[in-house]
Parts: sequence; C-alpha cells; structure tokens
Amino acid sequence: MSEPIFLLGSKADAARIGPAIQAVTSAEDFRAALRHRRARWFAFRENVLSGLLGQMVEPSDTWHRILLLQRPSAGRQEVLRALFRVVVTPNDTMKLLAAEDLQEVLKGEHAEDYFIGGMVDRDDNMLVLYRGDLDRLLVPLDFFMKKDQAVKPDFADFDITDVGQTLRFGDYEAASSAVLYEFDAAARKRMRERERDQDATFGGALKRLRLSKGVSRGDFPGLDAKTVARIERNEVQAPHGDTLGILAKRLRVKPEAIKTY
Amino acid sequence: MAFSLPLQAPWAAQGWKAKIRDKERTEPPRITILRGTRAWRFGLRSREFLDEIPEPKDVPEDLVDVVRHALPQLILEWDKMYPENPVSSAGGDDE
Repeated sequence: MSEPIFLLGSKADAARIGPAIQAVTSAEDFRAALRHRRARWFAFRENVLSGLLGQMVEPSDTWHRILLLQRPSAGRQEVLRALFRVVVTPNDTMKLLAAEDLQEVLKGEHAEDYFIGGMVDRDDNMLVLYRGDLDRLLVPLDFFMKKDQAVKPDFADFDITDVGQTLRFGDYEAASSAVLYEFDAAARKRMRERERDQDATFGGALKRLRLSKGVSRGDFPGLDAKTVARIERNEVQAPHGDTLGILAKRLRVKPEAIKTY
Repeated sequence: MAFSLPLQAPWAAQGWKAKIRDKERTEPPRITILRGTRAWRFGLRSREFLDEIPEPKDVPEDLVDVVRHALPQLILEWDKMYPENPVSSAGGDDE
C-alpha cells in the first residue's frame, strides 16, 4: 500500500534520502501530515521534534509510525508512544541499522522486505523486528533452533547486517527472507512471483514447507511416509480433509495456507 | 557458522558478498549473492539463478564464474549445514 513518508528535518535531508520523502519543516506541515490515515515518519535528530509534538492536541486512531535515530527523554518517549502506533528509537536493547544502510532501505521499492531494527525479548523468547515500513514483526526464538545444529544462535549478541537482509546472533546468521517467507504471507507471495521455474503445485508447496520446518516425511502421526511422498509428487489429486488436517497440524499452519509456501 | 565465499578484489571492495546462512529457506539449496539491498539466489542443483528479480544479468559474469568454480565446495558446505535437504538428494527426498 502506498503511503506518505515524512522526514522531520530539512528539505535537503529529505532529498538526500529520495524523491518520495516529504520534508516537514513547520507546525503547519506537521498538522497537515497528521491528517493522513497511515504514514511513516523519520527523524534523524531529536531536536527537530521540539515545538512540533505539542501541535498534536489528542491522539487519533491512525496508523502513523515513527523512527527517531536519537534516544529521546523518557517523557518525550511516552508522548511519542501516545501519538504514534509504532515508535522505534534507540535504547539499551534495540539494534538499529546504520543511518547510511537505513537510507538505502528507504530508497528501495519494498522497504517492508528489510529489517531496520529489532530486539530480543528473553522473557518471552521472542524477537521483535521492525521492517523498513516501520511495521513490527514478532518471531519466536525457536524459529532459529533446530535439532543437531552445528552453530547455535547466541541471542545475547544480536545484530542486523547486510543492509537489513541478515539477522546475526553471534556466529549464527539467518536470512531475513527466510523469516519473512515464514511469517508474512504477502512477502511470501512476492518472493514466489519472482521465482523462475517454480513448482507451483500443492505438492511442491508442501515439500518446501515441510523442509523449512525440518520435519521428515515419517513424522506425521497418522500418515505414513509413502503417502506424504505421493502427495509431494502430486500423485494424490486432492488430499482428503483429514489428511490436510494432519499435515497442517504438524507443520503448524492452517490447512488452506499450505499451498502458499 | 554462516559460510562466506571469499571474494577477491574488486568484488569485495565493491560490496559484493556470497553466503550460505545458517537459516535460509531450505528448498531449493542455494548460495545467496548480496550487494546493498539486493540479493540473488543461485541454485546449487540447477547451477542457475533461481529468481527473475533482481535480474541475474546485474551480477557480473566474472563473479558468477567465481561462484560456479566454487560449486563443489559450496555443495559440501550446504550439505553440512542442511543435512535434511542435501544438494545430492535432488529434491529433498528422504524416503
């Protein structure tokens, strides 16, 4: 979905990032920008907020998200959280892309396909990721674990590299595309549309999903491995509803989602 | 540990990387060539680019040759990292 992108800063700063970025330099601009239903906001310096936040009289039910590259005061942080749906700012646990890499992501066609920030929540074993469109994505840490893996992710040493295309946990690296393919159906659809010679059959999708989950064909209670193999080879025209249910339950997806992988 | 194919100058200096990461989409086996915000998947079974976008022709042919010459090593690395879907299985059959 196309939505405006605003930079709280000078027109020269906005032009450096790209033609799609609109500079907000006055209280009047600020009020006008806030009338949009959805928008992304960026601010490289905290001082540009001075005199502007007070212009927002009351929070409204909009989908405005903001990335501020300098850490705000605790009070200002709360004001931002009251006024924006998502607030991304540096803190003790947040990892953000470097400013020059961030600008590369913003210039790109699908900023939402890159991660620009994130933090590990060890209390809940979750990874909180922020995408280039400033939407949030929650990923269970066990997504990065599998049996007998040679290198285990070190969640205490998290970073984002390769201009938002790789998540690093110590010596372990995960492709951002693997995360998006698993957790975002729209991103998965975009990736499949780019593929050459893709096997677009149900069996092909089932095989990709099964392998991505590290599940063997013999690991579906109630189904034998040969049946799963026949389904993957498309020798079964329309798997029975009960069979679909077994496959989906073991792979932890909805039955109708299998074909999207 | 992710495997990074060592790239000589000028590729490394220009920001090119070629990697097999610890967590990739498992099928099909591939190495990913990265530069900036772009990524090209190169299939270890098909020995061709897997996607139409970004355009494969944007990767210098000499760099593709480096990857092709390294295929035996890349296949070993993939199989070590993804024993559940080795390149040699030609489709991930595990019957």
